Amino acid sequence: MYLSLIVGVYSLVFLLLFCLALFFFILLRRIIVQQVEKKFQKIYRMIEEEVLITLNSGSPQKAISIAENFGQHPKVLIQTLINYAENVKGQARENLGVIFEAALKKKCLKDLRSWWISKRLRAIRLFVLFARPEDSPLLIDLMKDKPLIRLAVIQALSRLPNYRNISYIFDAFVKDPIPQAHAYINIMYGLGSRIESFVGEYMTKTLSYEKLALLIELAGSVPLRSLYDKVIGFSSHPEKEIRIAAARALGNLLIHEAQNDLIRLTEDEAWEVQAQAYKSLGRLKVSDSLDVLEKGLYSFNWHVRYNAGYSLAMLGIPGIKRLKAVVKGKKDRFASDMATMVLDSVLYSGEAT
Amino acid sequence: MTETLAVLFQLVTGLILIYFCLINFFYFLFLILSFTGIFHYRNKVKYLSFKEIFHLPLVKPISIIAPAYNEEHSITESVNSLLTLEYPLYEVIVVNDGSTDKTLEKLIEAFDLQKAKWVFRKSIATKPVNGIYKSLSNPKLIVIDKVNGKKADALNAGLNISHYPLFCAIDGDSVLEKDALLKMVRPFLENPEETIAAGGILRLSNGCVFEDGQIKKIGMPKNFLARLQVLEYLRAFLGGRMGLNKLKSLLIISGAFGLFRKDVTLECGGYRTETIGEDMDLIVRIKKYLYEKKTSFRICFIPDPICWTEAPESFSSLINQRNRWHRGLAETLVHNRRMIFNPAYGLTGLFAMPFYLFFELLGPVIELIGYIIFVTLLLSGHINHPFALMFFLVAVFLGCFISLMAILLEEYSLRRYPKLSDILIISLFSLLENFIYRQYLAFIRSKAFVDLLRGKKGWGEMKKIGFSKEAEQP
Repeated sequence: MYLSLIVGVYSLVFLLLFCLALFFFILLRRIIVQQVEKKFQKIYRMIEEEVLITLNSGSPQKAISIAENFGQHPKVLIQTLINYAENVKGQARENLGVIFEAALKKKCLKDLRSWWISKRLRAIRLFVLFARPEDSPLLIDLMKDKPLIRLAVIQALSRLPNYRNISYIFDAFVKDPIPQAHAYINIMYGLGSRIESFVGEYMTKTLSYEKLALLIELAGSVPLRSLYDKVIGFSSHPEKEIRIAAARALGNLLIHEAQNDLIRLTEDEAWEVQAQAYKSLGRLKVSDSLDVLEKGLYSFNWHVRYNAGYSLAMLGIPGIKRLKAVVKGKKDRFASDMATMVLDSVLYSGEAT
Repeated sequence: MTETLAVLFQLVTGLILIYFCLINFFYFLFLILSFTGIFHYRNKVKYLSFKEIFHLPLVKPISIIAPAYNEEHSITESVNSLLTLEYPLYEVIVVNDGSTDKTLEKLIEAFDLQKAKWVFRKSIATKPVNGIYKSLSNPKLIVIDKVNGKKADALNAGLNISHYPLFCAIDGDSVLEKDALLKMVRPFLENPEETIAAGGILRLSNGCVFEDGQIKKIGMPKNFLARLQVLEYLRAFLGGRMGLNKLKSLLIISGAFGLFRKDVTLECGGYRTETIGEDMDLIVRIKKYLYEKKTSFRICFIPDPICWTEAPESFSSLINQRNRWHRGLAETLVHNRRMIFNPAYGLTGLFAMPFYLFFELLGPVIELIGYIIFVTLLLSGHINHPFALMFFLVAVFLGCFISLMAILLEEYSLRRYPKLSDILIISLFSLLENFIYRQYLAFIRSKAFVDLLRGKKGWGEMKKIGFSKEAEQP
């Protein structure tokens, strides 16, 4: 009994000390963090004042003096630059770039090789904002790093959209797994029509269905109209997901000649493709498709009826007239109900806007 | 006979001791995993601009479904908060689940609602819908008025009406932080194929000040019970769920704030209306369905999107809430009992389900038996008094230590309580909760078994006070 009592006493004392230590650690940490934050805010405000003057004056000389005066507070300076660079463009960002070059670039280059992932990410973030063409090789070296770092690098490279960097982005898109590819697609989207030739080239490569579908969607979203013929080609692809992507892209490309192919897709064996084709027809706003869209209202599938109804509304007065006719005709309860709802919602949103 | 009884007694005591060690081991493990998880997450979000990577026009649209039953005090504030979220494309569907107070009238008045003709695909059967309203002042808002069918039925009705591929289930009396959806949607953008559901953090709105549907001042609740619950929520979300998430064993995405893929939810038949633990039930059924389909998936817990919700401030409401939670847990585990210890369901079957069964469901009963044995031994003189006291204090300080670790996690991750005094108060309550409150909770959670066997189905009454504004603060 005595032994268990001794063990108990030791456990209790040990736990008590541990709890007290943890409690004081939490308190002390909070006090220190608050003090550090206070100091940080004070310096931040000082830098901010100077930065605002620089942004207004547009003088690079002033920017260099900020770098000289506050170079010994890199953390605060980095935060100020990140906060401001995210909200300014043009000459103002150039001036911030001068501060970066003069005060932080050396540190960032060192941080790019740091063991700490947060330091690497922070350095890349600054390169995302202030990258210059000569920095590309440094960033490309990091393409062998962890996926998270690679994503950040791709984001940085997208700020320097020359031929070589865009190739790197597309190569990474092909090599990396599909979750990462989604992020790359979003980055590519930001590059606009510069990626036209790359998208066309990579569409012809052997890619997984998911990646190919993403590229087709990208062609539509940007939109890359010169790829119209290639997208049309995919509308007969045996894979359903590719046909859906093609139907959506055709709607986004807004080329009236796509009408016939979209009408063909409204007869597709998969309802998902049909529904997308009806939606895209609405986006094209070609009055010749009135009959097809009206037919869609009588589909067995709810999604097809829904998209056909709203697409008719998108055609303006002629479409609205067709919807009214379907409501009055009452040939089919489901079509009539859908047309009623579409008319009702068009009325509401019209009033609301 | 007496000897056999003594041996049996010793055996039970030994088992309880082993149980005590095991449960604390798992809590420590979860806390350590939470630290690593939060550390990794912080690194990821601090310097990688997801807003830039996922350009706003390309993010997936979301339908927010907020069931409301007798929420007249808070509904306007909650809906206002939902309508002012930072997200490019979303709709807000408020489902008035047959409220007997003025919830619907308040909504009609505040948001200029008009009855609309609506055709929707009844993917899931629900109680009859009396009417669907659209707001003339805010096109994002849709209100469904339906016959009362409980929360799961209301969510199903919202699912039927919703337009978008993702839906966010939230409580009608909760307030989301402005960027909560943007943070929640991140895993769905990073890995759209595999991510099925994501959950955020729930925080207590008691003691906080709200203005225009947004939190203005964060503070500690004045109410004693609510203060105890602040600590419980910190432990449960930052310690428990984050740790379980790292072990890929998360079985609950809180019904008060969760984002789900609509197609998978519909394939699983939506929310099951026969249970009162519909949030956990949905996740378990989704996991079961995807394991059986042999599809890889992930369910995530994200430590920074915050939803503010009201905690019960009276004993009767607290009893009802905890009783309901425990019955819901029991119903879900019983309904999906085939998964327990079944290797076909991966980590969920081999670790998560047994963990929830032995430590969450049976935990309070074992704890209660432990207390009874302890008191019996103490009164009958079969235990050394100093040792008894020592053991009790060890248990108290162990509990305290785990709570302090959860507070440290809060300090490290979000640090939402601005005053130092708030930390002192929560720390004090980490000690106080071990006396009476913890034992009382074990008792009411154990009583849930009796209610379950009796066939109790109701939710029980929850008194709500609504969100306080600056002027109402003392």
